[in-house]
Amino acid sequence: MKTEELISALAVDTLPQPKVSSLLWRALPLAVAVSLCAFALFWGPRPDIVAAMSSYAVLKTLGPVVLVALAMAVAVATVHPASSQKIPGVLLGAVIAVALGVFSVFLAREGQSALVHALSIPDLWVCLLSVPVLAVPMLGGVLWALSSGATTSPRLTGALAGLVAGGAAASVYSLYCNKDMVLFVLPAYSSAIAVVVLAGAALGPRLLRW
Amino acid sequence: MRAANRGDAVAYHRVLTAITPILRKVVRARGSGLGTEGCEDVLQDVLLAIHRKRHTWREDQPLRPWLYAIARHKVVDAFRARGSRVEMSIDDFAEGLPAVDGPDPTMGRDMEKVLSALEPREADLVRAFGLRGETTAETAARLKMSEGAVRVALHRALKSVARLRKRMIE
Repeated sequence: MKTEELISALAVDTLPQPKVSSLLWRALPLAVAVSLCAFALFWGPRPDIVAAMSSYAVLKTLGPVVLVALAMAVAVATVHPASSQKIPGVLLGAVIAVALGVFSVFLAREGQSALVHALSIPDLWVCLLSVPVLAVPMLGGVLWALSSGATTSPRLTGALAGLVAGGAAASVYSLYCNKDMVLFVLPAYSSAIAVVVLAGAALGPRLLRW
Repeated sequence: MRAANRGDAVAYHRVLTAITPILRKVVRARGSGLGTEGCEDVLQDVLLAIHRKRHTWREDQPLRPWLYAIARHKVVDAFRARGSRVEMSIDDFAEGLPAVDGPDPTMGRDMEKVLSALEPREADLVRAFGLRGETTAETAARLKMSEGAVRVALHRALKSVARLRKRMIE
């Protein structure tokens, strides 16, 4: 087939294609709903949820939401070739830096033994398993939406999809988790999210090729 | 391109025709080892990618960097796929071959393979618009379909083409 013939065939097909962000807005609420249903069935909110939500423990839920919003902005930028991802990227880096900063302040104040003590509870394993499981529908939805885009670095985009899904799952899981110590929450949630990030990075090259 | 994204087929045809020589130059400069036909195949891949991913161009941004980013990605892909294949020059066999007219430099090989792997009806649609230059109204009358159905069918056919091309590269 000659190139000009291909062009003639392409030019006739002017059906509009949905934007990546609108696909994301279609997939994500659905995925969150699935995740919340699973949460209601198998986890359920902590008994003192109302009191927790009006204390500083609410940060466990809201912090990941900020992470999700920024990771989503960067991920969407990476599937638009030649579009800048600087501003959301810098903000995302800043959020991660703040989390690290808070962690080191608390670590310096309470010492390493307090960290070991905080993490040597079975809840750590519940957290490390629950968050990735709750993230599965979100990761699927986000990767599906992003695959309609055109990423030039599938591994990075996949990892960002994992960050979106992991963050959202951590936010859902925080409604169950009744451990509010900073030295538990920050390392446990971060590791759980990191598992999802790695899963996204592994799946990206396979699912986001075009 | 903006008009094209709003469904203006004439404007879209003009855009694709205008960018093709530029993209051909980019592909040939980067892919000199692929041969003329190989380059034309890559160029057709690039055009197909531009078509399938046209919604990832942001209208408030310049078009050229976006085009180049897509072209670069597809050229790299092509090299990864064809890198191991040896391209032999036809000159090596020229003496034993009957003299023929030089091949059309804008002819690609791979698209024929894809079209023959496609469902006959889908391949017919792509050929109808590409080779025979039919309009949607003519095709609709010939196939006794509505124009809208023809559009949807062509859209799906091109989607299949892109999928098959991807599989060939993998």
